[in-house]
Amino acid sequence: MAEHVILFTGPMGAGKTTAIRSLSEIEVVSTEANNSERHVVDKATTTVALDYGEILIDGQEKVRLYGIPGQKRFDFMWAILKERAKGMVLLVNSDAPDPIAEMLTFIDEFRELYDRGGVVVGISRADVVAGPTLANFSDALERTNPDLVIPVFTVDPRNRDQMQNVLLALIANIEMRAMFGLMKTTSSV
Amino acid sequence: MSIDAKQVAGEPASVSAGFPVTVGWTHAAIAIYSALKLNTAVNLKMHIEMHSPLLIDLGHHAFSWSTPLEIFPVDAVHTGLETEPASSDGAPYFELPGNDLDGLLWEMGINSFGGARAYWLPPDERYKLTRWPNLTQHSHTMRQTQMIAVLGNTYASTSELAALAGVDESEAQRLINALSLMRILARSAAAPAAPVVTQTAAAKRQSLFGRLRKRLGR
Amino acid sequence: MSPGLHTKPAVVKAAAGLLAEMKDVASSLTYAALLTDDGFDVARLPGQTDGARFAGMASSMQALGDAVTHELKIGSSEYIIIASGKGYVVQLRVPGQELVLSALFDNDATIGSALAIARSYAQKMADLIK
Repeated sequence: MAEHVILFTGPMGAGKTTAIRSLSEIEVVSTEANNSERHVVDKATTTVALDYGEILIDGQEKVRLYGIPGQKRFDFMWAILKERAKGMVLLVNSDAPDPIAEMLTFIDEFRELYDRGGVVVGISRADVVAGPTLANFSDALERTNPDLVIPVFTVDPRNRDQMQNVLLALIANIEMRAMFGLMKTTSSV
Repeated sequence: MSIDAKQVAGEPASVSAGFPVTVGWTHAAIAIYSALKLNTAVNLKMHIEMHSPLLIDLGHHAFSWSTPLEIFPVDAVHTGLETEPASSDGAPYFELPGNDLDGLLWEMGINSFGGARAYWLPPDERYKLTRWPNLTQHSHTMRQTQMIAVLGNTYASTSELAALAGVDESEAQRLINALSLMRILARSAAAPAAPVVTQTAAAKRQSLFGRLRKRLGR
Repeated sequence: MSPGLHTKPAVVKAAAGLLAEMKDVASSLTYAALLTDDGFDVARLPGQTDGARFAGMASSMQALGDAVTHELKIGSSEYIIIASGKGYVVQLRVPGQELVLSALFDNDATIGSALAIARSYAQKMADLIK
């Protein structure tokens, strides 16, 4: 069976679990524990191993959606999960203390997914707080990674239609990069 | 045809007596393109039949209009355009933040020039994205997503873009016009031709994008 | 909302004392850690090691165990064992608490005895902090 692994990354509270729930056709496998860092991000639970969802394309082919735990202390899971991934949806909540720095940290951490596939950045909660504008995020990416043209979208992870657009934009980008021979290792998604 | 920016940057505030009654968005797109090029904080008010005035604050890259973009009137009848310099005391033109101007520029760019090249674009150039449009906020087709993915990764002319995405040249041109109006397109007369790989039926079947799009009913 | 157990000095002290006692009872115990459900180190033995990384791993494993029992509809996970050529890791939740005990025994212990000790000390920890 052909499988395509897409990784959802980003800091705690960005909406990774929610995004996978919006997209998945199966009941999402979640590994949540009660969050003891509510002074950092005020939500009841947090992912501690992974989230897993699927979109079945036909009997022979699946898109597998994996979410990482966002906190650095789980970076051993990052290493495990990025192994098979061919693309990344990086979600950042714009009400984080320094969302631009968070975005750049995850871009660096998962740079190999850009090199062998593609990356899309989704800014969540942009409509809720007067955080940085979309242009601020794009400016920061262009300043630190001048060679990359990484799509940056505002997203509501609860919105299936938006998340499907994000996923399709990522896959279109990965396939074009493969077609133009822009990947460091050449294979299709 | 070249557009003299002074036509739209009238001072002091005045109704542009010379603005012709026009159908569609071509004149509006030209006016905004010229005003954006000046890069000064100017406000525009467009009078459109059957709609309340469309207010644009270029300094804040925002617009305010009672007509939602989901029902963007492609054949709007424009009856006048006023320009005024932004107030020096920083008073907002309308209640901010308003709506992101990019959403309006996207619709305007797609729906002007009848699928021909925007007047400000010279012939024989190739284009590449400097930044992706915020696709979750713009109503768009999957063919547009694919074309944008092309332009995100290589310089392409309109005809190369059309060939790569398997669309009509006018459809590709509409997208180019919009991205150019949004000022997220680099232009080059010297860039080499895009490696046009003709999309055979078999190649289309092999594309995950195509299969997933179909699977999601989009 | 209460802060994590790893931030409560009384809990940290009780946990460190309990692990030391556990080592006295079971000479085959070579490493042990108490950690929160969301992967924070509370106490570990030997105490001078850096427990942060292991605490994260153990909590992930605990949550994956819970996900598997949920998937297979077999109730909730009681304990997890990893057996290797050089020993066993036995891991289980402290009853009624958002705390996990993870313990490594060498081959001098049997799986049965390792599990019995771990269970008994998880219960003791629950009694200490309730």
